[in-house]
Amino acid sequence: MSWTLLRGTLHQRRTSMFWFCFSLALYSWMMVWFWEKMGADYGQMLENYPQEFLTLFGGNEVSFASMGGFFQIEYLGLMWMIIIGAAVVLFACKAFSGEIGAGTMELLLAQPISRARVALTRVVAFIGYAVLLNAFTFVPIQIFGPTYDVKLSAEVFWTVFLLGLLFTMGIGGLAMLLSSMFRDSGKPAAIASGMLLLFWIADMVANVSEAAEFFDPVNLVTYWQPGKIINGGSADAASWWVYGLLTVVTLAGCVVVFSRRDVA
Amino acid sequence: MDVIQTQGLTKYYGKTRGVEDLTMSVPEGAVYGFLGPNGSGKTTTIRCLLGMLKPTSGEARVLGHKIALDGAAERTRIGYVAGEVRLYEHETGHWHIDYVAGFRGGRGALADDLIERFEFDPSKKVKELSKGNKQKLALILGMAHDPELLILDEPTSGLDPLNQESVYDVIDERVAAGRTVFLSSHVLSEVERVCDRVGIIRTGRLAAEEDMRGLLGKRLRHLEIAFAEPTGPAFLADLPGVDSLTSVSDRVLKARVKGDAIDPVLKRIAARQVDDIRIQQASLEDVFLEFYRGDDSAPDTAEGGEAL
Repeated sequence: MSWTLLRGTLHQRRTSMFWFCFSLALYSWMMVWFWEKMGADYGQMLENYPQEFLTLFGGNEVSFASMGGFFQIEYLGLMWMIIIGAAVVLFACKAFSGEIGAGTMELLLAQPISRARVALTRVVAFIGYAVLLNAFTFVPIQIFGPTYDVKLSAEVFWTVFLLGLLFTMGIGGLAMLLSSMFRDSGKPAAIASGMLLLFWIADMVANVSEAAEFFDPVNLVTYWQPGKIINGGSADAASWWVYGLLTVVTLAGCVVVFSRRDVA
Repeated sequence: MDVIQTQGLTKYYGKTRGVEDLTMSVPEGAVYGFLGPNGSGKTTTIRCLLGMLKPTSGEARVLGHKIALDGAAERTRIGYVAGEVRLYEHETGHWHIDYVAGFRGGRGALADDLIERFEFDPSKKVKELSKGNKQKLALILGMAHDPELLILDEPTSGLDPLNQESVYDVIDERVAAGRTVFLSSHVLSEVERVCDRVGIIRTGRLAAEEDMRGLLGKRLRHLEIAFAEPTGPAFLADLPGVDSLTSVSDRVLKARVKGDAIDPVLKRIAARQVDDIRIQQASLEDVFLEFYRGDDSAPDTAEGGEAL
């Protein structure tokens, strides 16, 4: 790993990193605040919704009237995934293909640093960014929570934080791998975003139609059930395995691919 | 010792030819001009030498090391200035210099000297710099660590004549200090100014290799002379090395003069009163034609050759 490159990479992403982290912290604070204000009325409000609508958004998996359900439907099950997805896809696409497309990779590779070190350093920077994104999501819930009577046990906090981190790294790892294959950032960004959207739509369809359930085992969104964890349940073992393996395979893959490809 | 060696170096991008069967060597301390029209394979060759592209076949050695995609050791001793300068738009010159220095164990000994000589302001962000100033920054980044081998891909494009001369002076000093320079260019006058040996690449192949003296012997000049009194083509027709003589008017002649034949031509012209004279260096394309004159295997110069 190269400290110079790590510092340079984080320095160049400082603006987007700040705004994504700031937005997540703000969103998390708003959610705990809203839960205190709306929590009591939320269950009553949901009773007026059609059952099919609630099922579409995963109402069979977790009760929306619970705190976990509220956080899942209002934040972690949709908006958080969009924010996190945008953050890691943008970061990943700049890591390799963006720099190749912009021509700055030529300046970097003219320096005495091997391709493998470049790729490994970018992977370390990405992991650091993923940790920051999840810290700025879940730590504010713990900090602001007590003020609004929202309490997550240490076990729940660490479970949802670590699984969220693996989910972030899995999605981002996929984007990193795609980024290492292309010579401009447009295609990997479009493919990674398209896959995330497809997973999300397939997950919703599978909630109301058995015909789409065949897709669940490979659907990355299906394994992300923060509502169940917040309500005191445990994460499925499959979730840890799927996100963990995806992270390892994609991040190792991007190092191998970048070390062997033409850069110009 | 040869600082650069290629043996049958070939690079195809799919079916598109980049460079083909390139065998050449650059000895230590030389200033080697790598001359060719745009699209001829100069940049592809350089990228293969730097390990950015994997050759389709053949191999390249730089400073004794066989080049590999994942190699890095030899690049501590190489300085590279890309033909098309691409830098981080939101960062300053200072940031770039420190960033590159970080990979090389500290700020290069020549950095401040080059900043002063190029009159470059490193406090500005790259997006605020003109094309010429971006080129200056690229030169500083490539040369600051005083590399044993300087690979320059059209290093003076975008620079004004004064700064071009500063670059040539720096190259001269580096060579005097025993460094080797590999200079890619399509500007004949630039190659003439700094190089002592020239390889001419065309359509991906090394078309010729000459020392500078040989190339200068093939130099062509276009003359247009306005005499004060009527003068016909016969006035110069008997001189060796003069061809393409035409009359523009009864007082104006056009001629093409080859190599060292310029001296007797100027002496003959000086025998009459001259109102005006224009001497234009022939394009690289014309030099190529000269190389291939009488050679049946000569490629068609119109192919792939934009005017230089």
